Amino acid sequence: MDELTNVYVQESREQLAEMEARLLRLEQTPDDHDNINGIFRAAHTIKGGAGVVECHFIVTFTHFVENLLDSLRNSEIAVSPPLTTLLLECCDHMGNLIGVLAAQQAEPAADLLARGTALTLRLKEILDAVQPSTTGQSGIALHDDLVEVESYGGGVVNTDSWHISVRFGRNVLRGGMDPLSFIRYLGSLGEIIGIETIADAIPAAADMDPESCYLGFEIRLQTKATKADIENVFNFVSEECDLRILPPHSNVADYIRLLKELPEDPMRIGEMLVRCGALTQGEIDQGLQAQKTGSAATARECDQPPLGEILVESKVVHKEIVDAAIVKQTQIIEKKAHEAQLVRVHADKLDELIDLVGELVIAGASANLLALKSRQSELVEATSVLSRLVESIRDSALQLRMVQIGDTFTRFNRVVRDVAKELGKEIELSISGAETELDKTVVEKIGDPLMHLVRNSLDHGIESAAVRLERGKPACGRVSLNAYHDSGIIVIQVSDDGGGLNRERIRAKAIERELIQPGDTLSDNELVNLIFEPGFSTVEKVSKLSGRGVGMDVVRRNILSLRGTVEVSSVEGEGSTFTIRLPLTLAIIDGFLVGIEKASYVIPLDSVVECIEHKNLTGDRNFLNLRGEALPFVRLRELFETEGQAPARESIVVVQFSGQRAGIVVDQLMGEFQTVIKPLGRMFAHLRGIGGSTILGSGEVALILDVAALVNIVTRSEEERLLPHRNNPSFSALTSNSPAVQSGR
Amino acid sequence: MSTIMLVDDSATILLSISSILNKAGYTVERAANSEEALKKFNAGVKINLLITDLNMPGMDGIELIKEVRKLPDYKFVPILFLTTESQQSRKLEAKAAGASGWIVKPATADELLNTIKLVIK
Repeated sequence: MDELTNVYVQESREQLAEMEARLLRLEQTPDDHDNINGIFRAAHTIKGGAGVVECHFIVTFTHFVENLLDSLRNSEIAVSPPLTTLLLECCDHMGNLIGVLAAQQAEPAADLLARGTALTLRLKEILDAVQPSTTGQSGIALHDDLVEVESYGGGVVNTDSWHISVRFGRNVLRGGMDPLSFIRYLGSLGEIIGIETIADAIPAAADMDPESCYLGFEIRLQTKATKADIENVFNFVSEECDLRILPPHSNVADYIRLLKELPEDPMRIGEMLVRCGALTQGEIDQGLQAQKTGSAATARECDQPPLGEILVESKVVHKEIVDAAIVKQTQIIEKKAHEAQLVRVHADKLDELIDLVGELVIAGASANLLALKSRQSELVEATSVLSRLVESIRDSALQLRMVQIGDTFTRFNRVVRDVAKELGKEIELSISGAETELDKTVVEKIGDPLMHLVRNSLDHGIESAAVRLERGKPACGRVSLNAYHDSGIIVIQVSDDGGGLNRERIRAKAIERELIQPGDTLSDNELVNLIFEPGFSTVEKVSKLSGRGVGMDVVRRNILSLRGTVEVSSVEGEGSTFTIRLPLTLAIIDGFLVGIEKASYVIPLDSVVECIEHKNLTGDRNFLNLRGEALPFVRLRELFETEGQAPARESIVVVQFSGQRAGIVVDQLMGEFQTVIKPLGRMFAHLRGIGGSTILGSGEVALILDVAALVNIVTRSEEERLLPHRNNPSFSALTSNSPAVQSGR
Repeated sequence: MSTIMLVDDSATILLSISSILNKAGYTVERAANSEEALKKFNAGVKINLLITDLNMPGMDGIELIKEVRKLPDYKFVPILFLTTESQQSRKLEAKAAGASGWIVKPATADELLNTIKLVIK
């Protein structure tokens, strides 16, 4: 695909997303004219671009959509739910067509063409009802803004002076000419009534070449000289100058053209009109005065009529010129805003940068280590400055890849709307925390699990309207998506105000599937989270939307692969909340290095609460009294079956994961350290307690502990002692695998 | 009052133009070729405008313009050259070399003085 098409595909997908979002808004606010205009603009842009890349099938189809939107814009047809549905379907179809273009196929497939024809017929039907003449045309009339503006009346501007608009070339000074000398010379031809210096082209001081000329002038000149005489003045610089001369009593269209060609800068409209000579400052002042008295009369600031309108009313300027200036102004502002928003960078380049930063982090750690060993204080100082900088670079680099989760969330507006209609339920989606940022790679992978959870809430969570009313709830159900940051991780919640989880059914199902034994004592939390176990599904009837057997366990597996967790909490009759916790990034973490014998392990620093030193950890009970609280702990030495004797003084790293605390007993603490996570090979995928590996500055491999799993192991092994009848396989599975851990990479 | 340097290998032109300029109140420095003009510049003669012919033996007018633009004191001084209607390509060449404008030969006194008025005060 060539560069142009590539850009078009990307742009039109963005436009399409915008169009869809606005269409959904259309149902709520059918009278929002800006919104309708926005929808039209998006379709128009998509069609215009398709023309440029010569993709005729997109042009043809979008043409009808645009026509319909035009009628909508002109209030010839009214907004209605069937219309919105039709337009949304058109949106989908346009997306498919763009997909065809992106796949570099010459024509859409037959079924797609058929769908397009069907949609076109429906569009035509509506259009024919309002404007029978236009849809008969097979030709495609591209809207051209320029033509539109110029087609306004050819009224004459009431001024008896020449208007000269000049922008000097950069080399004028180097050619020995003083821009002022032209004005001086013009003065000898007649009387200069007004002059406006245009300094917008002057760059920032640092970029400015003092030998270059950046100036321009708008001049009003009263003279009996001919146009040729005036042109002659600029003869010496005519090749490099931008010169426009409007004779007295010029046509409005000429001024409009001039306005369009003014330097790009969001000038106030009054200024622009003065600059282009269509108005004098006096007329502007009068207009401003009128504006003030007008607003004083109504005593409401917001009712202040725009300056342009007042000027038109007081007949000092043609409406067309004001309109053109407004168009120009909005164009400039929109363009500026857009420029500020985005720099497009290929994702691969960013990934490469992140990789390099990762290597930099390792190399930095290595230099740090060597410096410390050398005991040269100056060197240590220098490397610590360096590592601080590396840390900042790492943060900024990761920041580049951060995107807001909002786009992912807004996609669900459509899902909720469509699914709710299909199910015959009334459901609204509320979104909060859309501006929460997380790593692009995480955003890409979280879409599917989220979709599953949302559909699950829609299908199984929210009750039918009748049941809801019976339970004293509003008929309209609510599904909420929420995201926020919580100490180094991002939390995403999907909640509904539906029926909640039925404990009894879960228990019965779990027993039936032999996930638990009939006599098992489970906490409420453990019980509801059984729904994430493989093969678990409590819905008797498999519906089209969810509950296809690939249930919650797939969701959990997807999220675990992102080093995240998912859990559910639910109050029966009131609703459920699914909480997903994810790391902000998958690439680099701050680690806390600990040692057992000669092996090093990394604990993610986010989860470390404190470190305590403990002498003589005796007894067979694996918990200790930490400031009055029972803290279960695990000896890594035992867990990983490390040979040798524990030192007399051991350290305990207190870690926390989703509200639960646990201690990890290690030989020595080696301090904080930045680390790049390298995934373990597939061979070690089933290991619990190990999340990955990393390379230390010294070149040695250190394993990264999976705190979530460890906390789980610690608490369960304690419970196992307390509740000996429960058979929990996880602890033994881990220990039996531990030799592999020791010899691992 | 302004000083104008006039460079032309034709003594007739030097004379006719300098008399017009003198009458209009300008001080005129004269040089018969580019080398002589450069010698005067290097000797520290200060001028407000240079008027030069293009076709001259030795260093031609375009070379002279380029040389003058290299002198720090004359980087921005206006330079006019004398040309005929038929010399369009030379005109662009001279502009590119750093000339400000031109005077078409033959020029009346008014045309000459008007053009000068455009480039200097």
